[in-house]
Amino acid sequence: MTDTAKLSTAMAGRSPRSGARDRESRWTPYLFIAPVALYLAVFQGYPLLSEFVLSFTQTSLLAPQDARYVGLRNYRDLATSSDFASVLWITALYTVACVVCAIALGLGAALLLDRPFRGRGLARALVTVPWAAPPVAVATIFAWMLNAQYGIFNHVLKLMDFEIGYESWLDNPKLAMPAILFTTVWQIFPFASVVLLAALQGVSEEVREAATMDGADRLSVFKVAVWPTIQPTVALLALFVTIWSLRRFDLIWVMTQGGPIGATKTLVIELYTRGFVTRELGEAAAVGMIGLTIALVVTFVYFWYTQRTERAQGRR
Amino acid sequence: MRSPASHAVRMALIMVLLSAALFPIYWMVVTSLTSSANLFADRPQMLPDPSQAFNYAETFAKTSVLLWLRNSAIVAVGTMVLSILLAILPAYALSRFTFRGKGLLGFVLFATQMLPEAMLVVPLYAIFAKLLLLDTLGGLILANAAFTVPVITWILKGAIDGVPLEIEEAARIDGCSRIDIVLGIVLPVVAPTLAAASVIAFFHGWNEYVFAQTLVLSQELRTASVGLASFVGELSTPIHTVMAIGVMYTLPAVAFYLMVQRYVVAGMTAGSVKG
Repeated sequence: MTDTAKLSTAMAGRSPRSGARDRESRWTPYLFIAPVALYLAVFQGYPLLSEFVLSFTQTSLLAPQDARYVGLRNYRDLATSSDFASVLWITALYTVACVVCAIALGLGAALLLDRPFRGRGLARALVTVPWAAPPVAVATIFAWMLNAQYGIFNHVLKLMDFEIGYESWLDNPKLAMPAILFTTVWQIFPFASVVLLAALQGVSEEVREAATMDGADRLSVFKVAVWPTIQPTVALLALFVTIWSLRRFDLIWVMTQGGPIGATKTLVIELYTRGFVTRELGEAAAVGMIGLTIALVVTFVYFWYTQRTERAQGRR
Repeated sequence: MRSPASHAVRMALIMVLLSAALFPIYWMVVTSLTSSANLFADRPQMLPDPSQAFNYAETFAKTSVLLWLRNSAIVAVGTMVLSILLAILPAYALSRFTFRGKGLLGFVLFATQMLPEAMLVVPLYAIFAKLLLLDTLGGLILANAAFTVPVITWILKGAIDGVPLEIEEAARIDGCSRIDIVLGIVLPVVAPTLAAASVIAFFHGWNEYVFAQTLVLSQELRTASVGLASFVGELSTPIHTVMAIGVMYTLPAVAFYLMVQRYVVAGMTAGSVKG
């Protein structure tokens, strides 16, 4: 938040109580937020709560009225299941790879598009197109491009003289996850680059020039002038991409449904499969609560980290 | 100044970047304009073949794509209108008032970012069944807006933070009510951000898949995302037909996005960078 904005917020905080002309009740803000609070309570709060309750029951999608309380059994089963351990492992790999690749590519793109050149506005607009494309359409087109016999990927690989025997990307347990990852990163790196482009505007030209005149090479200029400015944005992006990867459903579901043999089964795919394929709502809910706990922990770590860096910078 | 050589390298890299970003969409268009015979040829056809444009007419005739697109448009516009209507007042309250529970509200708005749609879909299914919202486009709109309202509120709050208080003060002295001020003075000032927020909500509704897949059962209420996904792994529909549907689903969104991307980018960066 800018200083002016902070100031105006602070002033605004006092203003309702300041003048005698102000006959506004102190309930006004609550009236303003009541509709949204009610709405979110019905469509987010209540479902979340019932999901929590559900996670301690054995409930079938086919007969939800026959729910049976089973205590921690769903969680215990998950904790001892080697399949679920593999789901967690796949989710972790997918998430970390998404964060690293999307931010690295996004930063590369942002640095390329930062300095002025002819057509920069157009280039900046076009690079964000993948982000505007509907995920299901993205999944469909990538599935076709990755097709074993007629896909353009294999064709190009063949042209480059790679010895491949019509690799079936999405049917191969070793290649399916890299293929999904590639697709996801294609879709989200533009977001990272747009946000980083905005952050790059905050880089001080003076510091950059001073560093350049001192004869620093590009990497050092980046370290001294660019990185400290964009570092908070990178951290925030990492948080967002982490949460999005934990949530990502449409793309993976349409491309592989978690297969082959569970190779692309992330937490959310596991949750959906248990809920709507094997129809065990209680187990699905337990998976969901574990996923949510992970998201909360990640967020907590992010806030702890930013607080710590802010304090460290304040002391400097 | 950098040397011409490094400039050339940079321009080359930018071309590679743009090709990588745009190729899949180009390929979707090409595939939709490829004859059935050429689809399975040894060498893929690299350019669109205009003589295959009739594939689009056939796609209209053979599938319900127009109906799906119409449903998607209804859901997207509905999500947009509902989230804006719901977000304006809380955004103003978060920006201009201090009140007990403000921090909690801020946290709740942030926390919705963490909830996977897939996780809420089971309980939502039960709630929708009770409220008779199952199998309605209105229900989809209500479910989608629950995910867009928090982000929209946050973006609008950021914009309202930047509106000088003096503008409001004058109106208050003239006896305008808070609602008058919000609607008559603050909203016009933050109109560009409002536009950005609307578009972001529109896209969410246009793209959404999980709810559309599970909370709607009737064929005639399918959205384009569900309709398109239903072809994946199905062998009876030719791939150029599937890609034609993909094009009709993707290109309007991308074209619309390119027209308004200035606003969207401004709104998105305001919403995320400020955090």
